[in-house]
Amino acid sequence: MSNKILLLFIALLFSSNARSQSCTFKLNGYIKDLETDFVIANANLHVEGVEKNIESDSLGHFMIHDLCKSGYHITISHIGCETQKLYINLMRDTTIVVYIDHFSHALHSVTVEGNKKPTTQTVQALSEKNINENLNLNLGNMLESIVGVRTIRNGSGISKPVVSGLYGSRLLIVNNAIPQSGQQWGNDHSPEIDPFVANKILVVKGASTIEYQGSNLGSVILIEPNKISNEPHLHGKAAYYFETNGRGHGINAQVNRAYQKWAWRLSTTYKINGDKHSPDYYLTNTGSSEKNIALQIEKQHNSNWHSDLYFSSFNTEIGILRGSHISNLTDLENALKSDVPLFTRDTFAYSIAAPRQKVNHHLLKLHSKYFFTDHQWLDVTFGSQYNTRNEYDVRRGGRSSIPALSIQQYTQYIETKYAYQLSENSIFKVGLQSTITNNINNPETGILPLIPDYNSYDGGLFGLLIKKIKNWELEGGLRYDLKYQKVAVIENTLPRKVVRYNNLFHNKSAVVGAVFSASESTKIKGNIGFIDRSPAINELYSMGLHQGVSGIEEGDKNLKQEQSIKGTLALESRVSDKFFIELLTYYQQIQNYIFLKPQEEIRLTLRGAFPVFKYEKTDANIYGLDVSAIYNLSEHIMANVKYSYLKGQNQNDNLGLINLPPSYISSTLKYSLPKIASLENLEIEASHQYTFNQSYILASQDYVAPPDGYDIFKLKVSIQKQINEQRWNFQIKIDNVLNKKYRDYLNKQRYFSNDLGSSLVAGIHVSF
Amino acid sequence: MQQCCIYEKTSYICFIFGILKITEMKTVKLFLLLSIIVSILVTTSCDPDPKPVNEEELITTVTYTLTPSDGSSPVILKFKDLDGDGGAIPVITNGTLKQNTTYNGILTLSNESVSPAEDITQEVNEEGQDHQFFFSSSLAGITVSYNDKDADNRPIGLSTVLKTGGSESGSLKVTLRHLPNKTAANVASGDITNAGGETDVEVSYIIDVK
Repeated sequence: MSNKILLLFIALLFSSNARSQSCTFKLNGYIKDLETDFVIANANLHVEGVEKNIESDSLGHFMIHDLCKSGYHITISHIGCETQKLYINLMRDTTIVVYIDHFSHALHSVTVEGNKKPTTQTVQALSEKNINENLNLNLGNMLESIVGVRTIRNGSGISKPVVSGLYGSRLLIVNNAIPQSGQQWGNDHSPEIDPFVANKILVVKGASTIEYQGSNLGSVILIEPNKISNEPHLHGKAAYYFETNGRGHGINAQVNRAYQKWAWRLSTTYKINGDKHSPDYYLTNTGSSEKNIALQIEKQHNSNWHSDLYFSSFNTEIGILRGSHISNLTDLENALKSDVPLFTRDTFAYSIAAPRQKVNHHLLKLHSKYFFTDHQWLDVTFGSQYNTRNEYDVRRGGRSSIPALSIQQYTQYIETKYAYQLSENSIFKVGLQSTITNNINNPETGILPLIPDYNSYDGGLFGLLIKKIKNWELEGGLRYDLKYQKVAVIENTLPRKVVRYNNLFHNKSAVVGAVFSASESTKIKGNIGFIDRSPAINELYSMGLHQGVSGIEEGDKNLKQEQSIKGTLALESRVSDKFFIELLTYYQQIQNYIFLKPQEEIRLTLRGAFPVFKYEKTDANIYGLDVSAIYNLSEHIMANVKYSYLKGQNQNDNLGLINLPPSYISSTLKYSLPKIASLENLEIEASHQYTFNQSYILASQDYVAPPDGYDIFKLKVSIQKQINEQRWNFQIKIDNVLNKKYRDYLNKQRYFSNDLGSSLVAGIHVSF
Repeated sequence: MQQCCIYEKTSYICFIFGILKITEMKTVKLFLLLSIIVSILVTTSCDPDPKPVNEEELITTVTYTLTPSDGSSPVILKFKDLDGDGGAIPVITNGTLKQNTTYNGILTLSNESVSPAEDITQEVNEEGQDHQFFFSSSLAGITVSYNDKDADNRPIGLSTVLKTGGSESGSLKVTLRHLPNKTAANVASGDITNAGGETDVEVSYIIDVK
């Protein structure tokens, strides 16, 4: 695992001669921002064991006296940053520079990732602090705090991230350097990842992806655990939260330890909640539970060679609103007419009945990195994934306990990457990747599978060159993937027979990009990229009734690849010490854009009439703007405004593309105080978000017109306290403070029910 | 071909086994690497091989047999869609009824896509409390009343009495709701408005009353 920027970066500048006397050593140094190199004042340093508390001065300098020849744990905390721990074995007077991730957190932006993974594309990050404060959310909902990232949802338990209008098989999720494999095709399928294993989540709003294999149209989400810290003692953190809406509880615990040559970290998460509540009624059967475990082991073989192993297991069971389970068009009409969803109980329950989903995902990764010289290295990665998805419907004859959809997927991934640092200012990378996917339907369902059994073999090759020339950073890359699919479809004719298809696709992608540093505080980034996406299995071969959506879906086996050309232009500027702005505009042109088109035909079946949807191709464009601006009104008060605009259009009929996020604007006012009595880092945050009506979608393009725009208010208070060697963080937040009734365009449950009512979340987080 | 898919599962178990023993690095690492490579090779050699699906829940045929009280031969209304939701269009057998006549109606549900055909009627009858048929007609003179009861003394609708009026023609719709609210207002008398539940069957026949 390559080093990540969030880790403390320590540089030993100089050291004076050791003195024979002990306990007279001095540790002094500077605290700086990782990205801007700016000094950071008022950071608090706590030396464990001797209980010293020191603050950095206005020049970011600190000095700790009277230390012994010994190992010390130092906790560095600063408002707005995740608390960092540092272990130092003091032998003599020492000067260090501690880099913390301050400004980039404030702006969510990371220009270059620790100089290890440079890219000219726009990358935004969710910091560890952000992750810790949102334990009650799943990955998708957590990512929504990044401007322009939304989720397409099926109730509160299931959400898929949408980046620049791309999701599902158009958005790649890379979990721990392995492309996440699962049933990405379903809009009601969440990514099977516990965000708590990550120390950082990056969103690449790119023009094209070169380094990663997997189905996408340019944007990538990277889930990245940190390298395990060098702490020789057992350390870790634990978090607990309680949430009133759904009476949810959750706990996460992590422990890690380093030895001379190796280190380990273990993380476990358990979450449970019952029926959620909309402002007026319970959302019956919306409970869920989640049990996850992850183990990370790192080993340093010698100075040139290290390896790591990662295993994670994600297991969840999610209830789906009972009133959203409908059969034919008549049922749908009844459900749409009903103010309160059908089957709504007036009591709370934790129990989950059909319809529900049970999903397991296991990942094993083995990675090794070998340095030939300081400038040439090789990365070899193996990844193996096993994904099972069982969906249960309300069925006759006691069959509700038999899944109506049951799929197992095995994925094997191998990657070899070679990097050559040609000079201090340029780096060249090449890589070879292969993925084998094996998708199997379980016949016990007693229902013809919606998507067929298939094997998919992908082989890919890429090359990437990045070069810095004066104020310019330039990037160019090429990628080629060969995809071969063997598909076996059970036809819906009588007698049932298996029809086989073999498909071959050549997917190409290319990118050129540049970052121009107009000044030390202003960067302009531009990218142009080309990328192909071969049609997903469901787009080619879906056949049958897609329960939850009450429509008959039919794939088209003659669909061709989508071909996208995308341009992005971004500005990142620290206009003054008080004002930061980050702006991204993009335009994406997609040929052969594949979408589910409602047909004029209404199909008569024994269960009544059903609408028919077919996968068709068109030419489409998606364009938008994401802006985030921060203004420090005073030393203690910060204002942050985010605005995201997005539009997608079908160019053949000039209608809007459905299921894209509506524009929104959010504003946050944050008051922070570094010290209050014996407490530290008080933060009080109030925010408001207005989501616009998706007005360019006509009522005729959907069962009902898109819902009205809505306001949501949120409040958050957090404070920290150092108690001996533990750092405690207490937090209370209230979502939807006014208990507002609303429906969200991207939540499929909007046909049936209001969205969530207000909720109070109380959380404790401790690092030890 | 069947066997190779079993190997995939075992190789996965090997991975987990490998982690448990990871502390004994040297030999296990080799074993781990090998098992990954083997599993990749094995997957490559394995073609997709879907197992046949036993569609036991499928209803292909809804038959409404109307036997007149005068003892003459019954009228059989039938809706048949052998291949399920997709594929070929359903075959509907309509019927002609006599004026001002009382018929005993018997509904049967079956799956005729398998041989011998499966009778689903019994399954619905056994779960009578969770099911109810509803009848609606564009013919003004037709009335349908329930002639059976579930364990709670509420109608199911597998057995009915149909009465015709004067000469007219139009449609008769038969709906089966799963998990309706059988206690809601007017549901027991056959009004579907407040019934809720999910639709398991919804078929229409053309009727001529002569």
